[in-house]
Amino acid sequence: MNFKTSFFNPKSIAVIGASAHPGKVGYEILKNIIDSGYIGKVVPVNPKEHEINGLKCFKDIKEAGGAELVIISVPASVVPKVVEECGEAGVLNIVIISAGFKEIGKEGAKLERRVVEIARSKNMRILGPNCLGVMDMYTPLNATFAGEIPERGRIAVVSQSGALLTGILDWSMKNRIGFSRLISLGNKSDLNETDFIEALADDENTRVILCYIESIDEGQHFVDVAKKVSRKKPLIILKSGTGESGTRAASSHTGALAGSDIAYTTAFREAGVIRASTLEELFDLARIFVSEPVPGGSSVGVVTNAGGPGILSVDAVDKSELQVAKFGKETIDRLRQKLPSESNVYNPVDVVGDAKSDRYAYALDTVLLDPNVNSALVILTPQAMTEPYKTAKVVVDMKKKFPDKPIATSYIGGLVLSESIEYLEKEEVPNYAFPESGVRALAGLVKYSEYIQLKRDESIGELSGLDKEKVKSVLESIKKDGRNVLFGSESSVIMEAYGIPVAKSILTDSPRAAVSAADSLGYPVVMKVASPRIQHKSDVGGVRVNIKDSSEVKSVYNEILDSVYRFLPGETIYGIEVQEMKPQGRELIIGMNHDIQFGPLVMFGLGGIYVNLLKDVSFRLANYITPKSAFDMIGETRAYMLLKGFRGESPSDIESVVDVILRISKLALDFQEIVELDINPLFAYEHGVAAVDIKMTISWE
Amino acid sequence: MKSLYIIGTVESGKTALCLGLALKFREEGYRVSYFKPVSIATGIAGMKDDDTELMRDVLDIKVPFEKMTLFTMGHNYLTRYEPENSEKYMADIKSAYNEISKDCDIVIIEGTTNPQAMLALGLDASTISRRLGAKMLMVSRVNDDFRMDELILNLQYMKKAEVDLLGAVFNFVPTPLLERTRSMYVPILEKMGFNIRGIVPERKELTAPTVREIYEVLGGEILEGESNLDLLVENFLVGAMTTDSALRYFRRSKNKAVITGGDRADIIHSALETSTSVLILTGNLYPDVRVLSKASEKSVPVILVPYDTYTTIEKLHGVSCKIKATDEEGKKQSKELVENYIEWKGILKELE
Repeated sequence: MNFKTSFFNPKSIAVIGASAHPGKVGYEILKNIIDSGYIGKVVPVNPKEHEINGLKCFKDIKEAGGAELVIISVPASVVPKVVEECGEAGVLNIVIISAGFKEIGKEGAKLERRVVEIARSKNMRILGPNCLGVMDMYTPLNATFAGEIPERGRIAVVSQSGALLTGILDWSMKNRIGFSRLISLGNKSDLNETDFIEALADDENTRVILCYIESIDEGQHFVDVAKKVSRKKPLIILKSGTGESGTRAASSHTGALAGSDIAYTTAFREAGVIRASTLEELFDLARIFVSEPVPGGSSVGVVTNAGGPGILSVDAVDKSELQVAKFGKETIDRLRQKLPSESNVYNPVDVVGDAKSDRYAYALDTVLLDPNVNSALVILTPQAMTEPYKTAKVVVDMKKKFPDKPIATSYIGGLVLSESIEYLEKEEVPNYAFPESGVRALAGLVKYSEYIQLKRDESIGELSGLDKEKVKSVLESIKKDGRNVLFGSESSVIMEAYGIPVAKSILTDSPRAAVSAADSLGYPVVMKVASPRIQHKSDVGGVRVNIKDSSEVKSVYNEILDSVYRFLPGETIYGIEVQEMKPQGRELIIGMNHDIQFGPLVMFGLGGIYVNLLKDVSFRLANYITPKSAFDMIGETRAYMLLKGFRGESPSDIESVVDVILRISKLALDFQEIVELDINPLFAYEHGVAAVDIKMTISWE
Repeated sequence: MKSLYIIGTVESGKTALCLGLALKFREEGYRVSYFKPVSIATGIAGMKDDDTELMRDVLDIKVPFEKMTLFTMGHNYLTRYEPENSEKYMADIKSAYNEISKDCDIVIIEGTTNPQAMLALGLDASTISRRLGAKMLMVSRVNDDFRMDELILNLQYMKKAEVDLLGAVFNFVPTPLLERTRSMYVPILEKMGFNIRGIVPERKELTAPTVREIYEVLGGEILEGESNLDLLVENFLVGAMTTDSALRYFRRSKNKAVITGGDRADIIHSALETSTSVLILTGNLYPDVRVLSKASEKSVPVILVPYDTYTTIEKLHGVSCKIKATDEEGKKQSKELVENYIEWKGILKELE
């Protein structure tokens, strides 16, 4: 028996800490299991009771003869003992509802680690602690202490917040949303979001997976799993803690570094995860994914009885991944034939205020017949002649007639429309209070369809001439020196070892040595201060370019020292780096940052000193980079237009830039101790590239 | 019986050198004692001189503490000691020295903060060393050309004052300056006729303070990691940046103290992901329990202080690195530095 399915459909369940007193968690859980209609064996365990709710109560789990799934609701301090007994009784899975673990501090964290150790030693898996429990509407099983079991549906929810789940449950009852499974993750001491996403992928009753999370554990494993799952069914995630304050709150709430939002965005995209930015959007997306097909393209047709909302909807379309469909001539002619003369027959189609359901039917049918239309949005406002209910029936019929084209509605109104909206919901037509939400939901479908249609070359490809030993020896020497930051001279050796063209650089400790270095490199040269603590060398007068002869080298050597000491008295200066001066090329940046959750993250963008200002950059996880995705990275930026040759300028060597992206990714993957790397600028020429300034940071942990 | 007067400037590593030489000489079979006639007032009034305590302990000296350190240097030492009694003071020093040097082969005399201290009373390094007939070794931590000039001035003065000068030691030279010291500073001094008795490379273990030393200066409350107070602190960083830049910033330095507010959970977690020796939380802002739990997991001490960040940094200027008698590693290292980088045999020969 797979431990994951066994959480949802066990043959027997024991509730340890079952109580005979209403209002106690141990009472509510037992009652909910029974009331949910669970047909397996249910065993209450509590040494102080003989019988609860008509069931014989056992003094411990061993006496009860074990159970496949155990729900624990006893004080935290007793949990280790109880888990130990579960192990002896041959229990498979445990849900720990009890609080009082990691979330209360050091002692709790210790207790939690002990509980996990015990469970691991007995091959048991744990959900929680500090969670609400699990529900499966098809088993049926409600092993939570939240009240009523919701309707059956196709949506599964995994939530890091138990309290949020109770809110969603209650809200769903009012809004007639059904679920397949609900999982409250709690402290994620053992099983985490990735484990349950994997379990839900195999659940045939689940069509859409929704997640609310504050942090992802084991990021790289998550991406591997999510990539597979999202090809099977849509995975929609709401990740909180995106801004400054949110990150701080999430850090404090989860007791872990939340990680950079860019890394999450990049990882989600790589994995085909659809990201919702609000709770409302999470369910807006869920409702359309549950009932609508994946569209064949991004063109949307709008049919409306009100001009204003029609315009608003196409405004929203223009801002999204969708396109406003261009109708074929035939469609326009047909529309013109039957619609009143004041109607707009171009997209958005305005059937005007007096439209009854038959006019909606005609217009919608015509629009959906057009091969240029991939999906439709039907907008309705309650006007004097409007037939909301009959029109809703028209929409339902059209759904049947065009099963490959998603249709969303936006019935804008309240009291008058409530009956029709209820009908739409019952018939699984995703209806939105306002057209913009409908457009956003349709756009989610399109994003997903693009992802699953994406053809990918799955590997980084062959990279020749990688000298790992060389890199290893350079890193060793830096470690010996006890430094974290590399000098340009060291970084350039590493770049060369990985086949990345660089401006050669030599570290010197006197004007005389600088002259001989410059002589060997050839004039003109660049000179830079070498000090691991100075991040922005040019800000302190630490960089000089175009130095033409030996006497200039000598004087510049001292000028740089004078300037740096003036800005940073007491700074430790290792010397001056003398560097080959490369001709000016297109300035690019290629960077890498080792993300705590997702591993090395590579960046590409327009380089130079305005990087932080312009933020014209794109990101990928090094782990999954391919020649195609490296090329796409470039294509996503405005720098691409410059590289292609802007207004008659000659184009740059994009292929060589792609090669550098791939090689940096490989370097970061081969040497995980490199935690930060920036080539800024990388000069791109018509033929070839050159890394001109390289910053690298190493971590020795 | 011979004596060696070790003099230098603030934080030049005099005590480490005294300790290393004393241990080495003792190992060579000599009976070694220690004398520090003038001390400096540090921290709380009435506190005994740490160096004297250390050496008394290590060398097992029976002479009472009051005889080993007689005078205390300070901002207003001239109101405590009267210039007209200066001859009496010198006589006191001499008699204490006689007691200390009894049954002894070598007495190591340690100077105070700088060579000119108590010049107004005639109790400065040059006068004392001449009156006691000690040979002098000048220690300096030259980290730029300013300090080089200062060293030359001191050496020239001693020469003119007819002190029996053994030469100079470049102590705790940072790695990037080793080459400059050898190829530039040493030839200059040699040309002036001064002997160089050693070039000692910097040792973080002897120059970086421990978390305990920081706590002793800052006070406050230790919230976590009481058993890890011996971690070294090589860098001090203030955590007041955005979350995204924090990690980048923290990754660049190791064994660091991070000073930030207790409410900055994001900064604290970033710091805990990198090499951090201590978290100093300012403004008495008690952190979230989960933050402390993480710090405990990573074995990083957390100190909560009532001051704001600026005041905290001001106070940290007073932190200095001291070797403790119980610090076996520190003692071992001091001796090893002497063995490897100091011409101790030549010095010994001069003392015979």
